[in-house]
Amino acid sequence: MIRVENLTKTYGKKNNTFRALSNVSFDIPDGASVAIVGKSGSGKSTLMHAMSGLDRPEEGKVIIDGTDILTLRNKTVDRFRSEKIGFIFQAFFIQANETTYDNVALPLEIGGINGRERKRRVEEALRTVELDDKLKQKAGNLSGGQKQRLAIARAIVNKPSIIFADEPTGNLDSTTGAVIEDLLFKLNKQEGSTLIVVTHDHDLAKRCDMQIYVKDGEVERIDTKKGRK
Amino acid sequence: MKTVDIANRARRSLRNAKARTILTSLAIGVGAFTIAVSLAAGEGARQYADKLIGANVNPQVLFIVEDSALFDGGFQQPALQEYNPDATTTGNGATITQLTQADVDELAERDDLEFVTPTYQPQVTYITFGGVDKKFSADVATYDPTIMMESSVGTLPELGEQLADDAIVLPDSFGDILIEQNVIETKDELIGMKVTMTASKPSASLSSEEIQQAFMSGGQAAVVALASGETREFGFEVVGLSKQSATALTGTTSMQIAASKARAISEFTTEGTSSYQKYLGVTALATEGNDPEVVKAELIEEGYGVQSARDLQAVIFTIVNTLQGIVLGFGVVALIASVFGIINTQYISVLERTREIGLMKALGMRGRSVSRLFQFEAAWIGFLGGLIGSGIAITAGTLLNPWITEVLDLGEGNSILIFQPIPIVLMIIGLIIIAMIAGWFPARKAAKLDPIEALRTE
Repeated sequence: MIRVENLTKTYGKKNNTFRALSNVSFDIPDGASVAIVGKSGSGKSTLMHAMSGLDRPEEGKVIIDGTDILTLRNKTVDRFRSEKIGFIFQAFFIQANETTYDNVALPLEIGGINGRERKRRVEEALRTVELDDKLKQKAGNLSGGQKQRLAIARAIVNKPSIIFADEPTGNLDSTTGAVIEDLLFKLNKQEGSTLIVVTHDHDLAKRCDMQIYVKDGEVERIDTKKGRK
Repeated sequence: MKTVDIANRARRSLRNAKARTILTSLAIGVGAFTIAVSLAAGEGARQYADKLIGANVNPQVLFIVEDSALFDGGFQQPALQEYNPDATTTGNGATITQLTQADVDELAERDDLEFVTPTYQPQVTYITFGGVDKKFSADVATYDPTIMMESSVGTLPELGEQLADDAIVLPDSFGDILIEQNVIETKDELIGMKVTMTASKPSASLSSEEIQQAFMSGGQAAVVALASGETREFGFEVVGLSKQSATALTGTTSMQIAASKARAISEFTTEGTSSYQKYLGVTALATEGNDPEVVKAELIEEGYGVQSARDLQAVIFTIVNTLQGIVLGFGVVALIASVFGIINTQYISVLERTREIGLMKALGMRGRSVSRLFQFEAAWIGFLGGLIGSGIAITAGTLLNPWITEVLDLGEGNSILIFQPIPIVLMIIGLIIIAMIAGWFPARKAAKLDPIEALRTE
């Protein structure tokens, strides 16, 4: 379970401050699919960064599996990200010059998983996203949809408990986007990992179990499939 | 993250930027090339000098003097000194205490020395060749059996053997002069030719009694003969002409005769003077099984001045090392320039790969690992530069060696560029370390990159 408590993040100094997050609190149950919905500049990205340990808001807590990750040392936070978090970005951020295999192997290299186990996991992840026939291909030669599937393989290869997807379909046409969405939700159900989608696409948001609407750094409202909270 | 994975990623990302990698490596390669060549040239020059000394000087040889001031030309001496009957004044005005016959005898008795030969200074008034009347003057020196010499005509004794008593060796150039002077027609005629040296003893200061006696016995003519001193002829037979060889260290311009004859002449001309049986120095060989350096130390302890073959080697090596140092300096300057090349390239690389760095950090890669990734890339560049530079140096050196040997007339089988694996490996390791130090600045920038900033899509 992820618990966010009174999260506040301020940019700038003294007279010229800007509150990106203001007193944000919510709970996310394990294995849920959650959409953080908001317009550009609403603070949804900042919220994602704080929840994944990339950013350190000055106030509040992000409690994941009973630990407030904002109090951890840098080294521990890095390991936490390496072991428990997967990222999917709008612009894919795959390494075009590397093979698909080496792209997917990166999180395992960082996590220190070697040899046969690494190979097995990479191949399994690529099979999951149906790219196992493109093992030795340069990632740059893949199509947009394939690139995002590659990014998904990279996100799931270390079996994270939470996957953050930042506008995962933003750079894709609607047909390809739909395929990616299906894949993400299928994995969410199969693997039991928590899926947190950051988006301004309301259709995508509606497919999630829970929608957190963010506006001007504050939680506007939270919807769940069971009803409005 | 495991070091091997970081090194592999570094290698791959360099491969993906081939042109840049090769160009940066080339900059280091220039430095590496210069250093490799200077190392090879230094080694070649040292080996050549060693060969030269080995071929010319017996490693057991020692030059022993009474007064070590001779070795530095006497520059450290005061201008006015107390009179010493054993001292002589050298050409440049230094007063040098000489060895006496007693010293020489004492040295000859030592069982760690053999071939103890004083430096006789035989001075002759004139020389005639083969009964021709034309008189010549030339320097006469003792034949040195410890130096290997080659003959152009005739035969010379083996290394270590002294000339026969009545034998004489002429420098090859004397043959040309004698042909010019119409004494001979071909150099071959010289072999077996009689050479006569006429030495004269200065007139002794005569007492009035001696003059009276001479006058009474032979009249005025006897007095003139007595006062004009005594002359004596020494006869020799030419055995060979010595030529200047490619590995000969010193070309001699003296006629060379056996030590016994040199002694006879110099004792004849100095008899009755203070120079009689006084010698500037003595050449000797440390006997087989005795380290010349140990013998040298013992002799110095006893108050002699001594130089060994190694001292001669040290002088030559100092020159070689200085020249090598200069070339090495150019290499280092080139390296310093290439260091800035690496820093620049790696900074650009960090800028270009901001997103990649951001992603890696977002995925939990430690700043230290990111830093190492960039340092390893720099290390690979250093390694490649070292390989390129030394590779070109070895190829070019190996191809050019025969030509250089020919142009410099070094003699068959001598190479001036000798590449040794260990210095080159050490140089490449050094380059890797230098490249890593240069890569430290960009690597630190990469390590400090904020992943959130790096991953902004706008």
